[in-house]
Amino acid sequence: MSTTTTVATPLAGAAAADIAADRKPGYYINFNLFALAMIVMAVMFAAYRVYQQVYAWNFGLDATTPEFDKYWMTLLRIEIPVLFGAGFLCWGYLWLTRDRNLAALKPKEELKRYFTFTLWLVTYTFAIYFIGSFFAEGDGVWHQTVIRDTPFTPSHNVLFYACIPTYIFFSVGGFMYAITRLPAFSRGISVAHVLAVLGPIFILPNLGFNEWGHAFWLTEEIFSHPLHWGFVVLGWNALALPGVALQMIQRMVPLFHEVFDKREAPAA
Amino acid sequence: MHSIFRALGRVVPLLLLAAMLVQALPAAAHGERAQEPYLRTRTAHWYDVKWSVDKLGVNDTITVTGKFRLFGDWPDAVQIPHTVFVSNATPGPVLARVESYLNGVPARQSFRDLQIGRDYEYKMVLKGRVPGRFHVHPMIAVKGSGPLVGPGKWIEVTGNRADFVFPVSAISGEQIDNLETWGLGAAIKWHLVWLTIAVVWILWWVRRPLLMPRYLALKADREDLLTTNTDLKVGIGLLIVTLVVTFAGYRWAKSTYPRTVPLQAGTMYTPPLPAEPKAVNVRFQEARYDVPGRSMRMALDVTNLSDKPLRLGEFATASIRFVNLNLPAAKANIDPGYPMEVIARTTLSISDDSEIKPGETRTLRIDATDAAWEIERLTSFLTDVDSKFGGLLFFFDPQGKRYIAEVGGPILPVFKGVQVKQAATGNAGT
Amino acid sequence: MSPNTEQVLKVSGLPPEAVKLSRIWDWCVVAAVALLFMGAIHLHVMLTVGDWDMFVDWKDREFWVLVCPVSMMMIPAALQAVFWHYFRLPIGMTLGAVLLFVATWITRAVGWHLWGYFPFTMGVPATILAGAMACDAVLLIVRSSLLTSTFGGFLFAMLFFPSNWPSLAAYFLPVQHQGMVASVADMIGYVFPRSGTPEYIRLIERGTLRTYEGSTVWISSFFAGIICIFMHMIWWQIGLAFATQKFVPTSKRFRRMVGLEAPAAQS
Repeated sequence: MSTTTTVATPLAGAAAADIAADRKPGYYINFNLFALAMIVMAVMFAAYRVYQQVYAWNFGLDATTPEFDKYWMTLLRIEIPVLFGAGFLCWGYLWLTRDRNLAALKPKEELKRYFTFTLWLVTYTFAIYFIGSFFAEGDGVWHQTVIRDTPFTPSHNVLFYACIPTYIFFSVGGFMYAITRLPAFSRGISVAHVLAVLGPIFILPNLGFNEWGHAFWLTEEIFSHPLHWGFVVLGWNALALPGVALQMIQRMVPLFHEVFDKREAPAA
Repeated sequence: MHSIFRALGRVVPLLLLAAMLVQALPAAAHGERAQEPYLRTRTAHWYDVKWSVDKLGVNDTITVTGKFRLFGDWPDAVQIPHTVFVSNATPGPVLARVESYLNGVPARQSFRDLQIGRDYEYKMVLKGRVPGRFHVHPMIAVKGSGPLVGPGKWIEVTGNRADFVFPVSAISGEQIDNLETWGLGAAIKWHLVWLTIAVVWILWWVRRPLLMPRYLALKADREDLLTTNTDLKVGIGLLIVTLVVTFAGYRWAKSTYPRTVPLQAGTMYTPPLPAEPKAVNVRFQEARYDVPGRSMRMALDVTNLSDKPLRLGEFATASIRFVNLNLPAAKANIDPGYPMEVIARTTLSISDDSEIKPGETRTLRIDATDAAWEIERLTSFLTDVDSKFGGLLFFFDPQGKRYIAEVGGPILPVFKGVQVKQAATGNAGT
Repeated sequence: MSPNTEQVLKVSGLPPEAVKLSRIWDWCVVAAVALLFMGAIHLHVMLTVGDWDMFVDWKDREFWVLVCPVSMMMIPAALQAVFWHYFRLPIGMTLGAVLLFVATWITRAVGWHLWGYFPFTMGVPATILAGAMACDAVLLIVRSSLLTSTFGGFLFAMLFFPSNWPSLAAYFLPVQHQGMVASVADMIGYVFPRSGTPEYIRLIERGTLRTYEGSTVWISSFFAGIICIFMHMIWWQIGLAFATQKFVPTSKRFRRMVGLEAPAAQS
């Protein structure tokens, strides 16, 4: 979408300061909420790791003991409703506060929103790091060292039932943000974005298959066993996020011209 | 670098633990309680298990010995032990393995073709590594099915983890001071070399405007600006550096360690322990488990095939031992260091505990009662697809010599009031 | 600012304010790509070849040298495709390799060592840094995905073993244990027990009829090289396919709900 803007005439006083302000990067990108989200996540995941360090060897080896129930099943009973509940609240909020007049969205506002969307994606990827790498290898540490006796092991209770709802919070949150606040992403659903969001979400039902396999079929612990390859394939959907980035470029470039140029914007 | 991580590994958990109360557990299992009863009572039956010490320092050793019988009525769901690994169940490498044996044969490699119905002797020497209190079990792992865990005992390791060493001498002459740290310096150094080159390469590109400008320049058909001649030269240089460093590193490794061997993979074989002449024939009649009473009641026909009078001294299944405390030989068979948590507190109750004469056949009604049935989750019949149990019976002659027989068969749960009524009406009870 | 950068910016046509914002956006994307692919590549590697990578006593001549390059080629090749095709950045493979390297070492330290009490010697990982850089360099030189697959893909696999041998050779010294030969790697795997990982579970060379005086590792490397050629080709296309920029039009009803279209006329 290209527009032609008229040459701006000099304005006095406050208007001049506004013009200067809206040509600064700080006008378009605000890291505050993003920083808060990142800090909360970092603290939460650090706390989980510490919890594993302290309570796994002492109380996590035998799922039949009352101590296991106290320290590990209670955690499960809290984290699932809290983390998923927070997600539903967030997505509901994003929907209910959606922009109801996207056709009238000003370019400057739209550009701001693209940066906010970018930060949603960064928070999503932060959560993906913890499930894909940090706690995932911890799962290997636990299961290749001790005997698996429940689907709700100390490693699983963090890896699956904390990390998954957390990244779903941000992935669906980012998706809801995009479709309710960005015209390009509302006019059409981004196939890449759907893949990047749904692929990892399906890790949750694939868990069912995984636990079924471990209960009935695979009693030994090979991390690279074909039983786990559902997770592998679903993880490949991460490659769709570059597609989203390209879609953003294709809209942000014309927006830059609309906001900062005094001449007609070239097509992207 | 490994010393930094080592320091972190000591300090961080200590700081955290200082704020927490660590509760001592009663006899703690290691996941085997979740294994099905038919698996634990009809596969490997461990007996004569001994732990040489209760307490040891870091770098001191403990020897775990014992025997196991591979039960004749092997469950369908467990793989035949064509390949078995002699192992131990501990919470990670808190104790290091020094050596292990099966029937005196070195057991670092796996064994093939163990025979069902026969006995094997287990020995493992472990070395204290991480201070703390740990449950230590002997264990074998069967390929295709996983771990079969023996009884566990709390062992305390004292001292300082940093003092642990495991030195080894290489046949090629190198002296390895500690397996925990050997070779790490070179590994980290080479990794840093590669990482440095890689980061420089990435920074070469990332330092310039990265995405939108390049995307647009490419669209404007100006890719000559995006990969210049200088970039090309740097790329060629990178390829040469990569090949040269690879080659040089490989030559260095070959000259520094000229004699290497691949991973060793052969399997071992040992015949089972010599079979003792069969002294007792056991014909199973029935078994019921009284759920509220936590009591297993069996009826067996026992025929004494030996030339000595025999008395039943013990019924052992999975980790639990039900001992006839009225028989001195049976009591003497309990090693003083054996974990008392898995020995039933009440005596094994036998309908007729008198000597079974040579040639005599007698029907015995045995009552094995203890809360351990429930704690060990050995009677979860309502969740099991194969409600058969197994165990070992230990008979003793007047000289104290021991004779082992297997026992097993279907087991029915008894819920008082229901089963009795059905029995009275002649129904089999489902 | 270098003359080349000035030229690129001029050709891009971005206003100066946009250049600044685009640079900030660059760093946001760098952060996102780093975090995302640390997770994605590490998970992929863990669940396809993880055991070979996690344990020094799985690093054999037959399987480790074969399966690791094949698996570790996949997502980095896709990244290379996207970075090159849209931005002419020959860094995709190297970036993937660096992210995998960093993610792996973090979990070795925080997981295996701090939590599991395992020594670092058990988990020295292999790296694909050398092969990845060679592949990126080949791409820059030949500027063709087909030739990169052929030469770069092959080189990627062939460099795997020799570039990792300096960091791993020390673990294959012969040792005598209980009267038998063992490698130091076997000893490490034995001495530091993993109850869930019995010896027989290792998918390693268990004996072949022909060992060609120990040169089997190069045969496995060569085979890996052939597979990696095709793996690179396939994953180059997969990378481009995943980076689709398609939109599926939304319904009129949805568009009305977000004000992209006027409300339906009252009947």
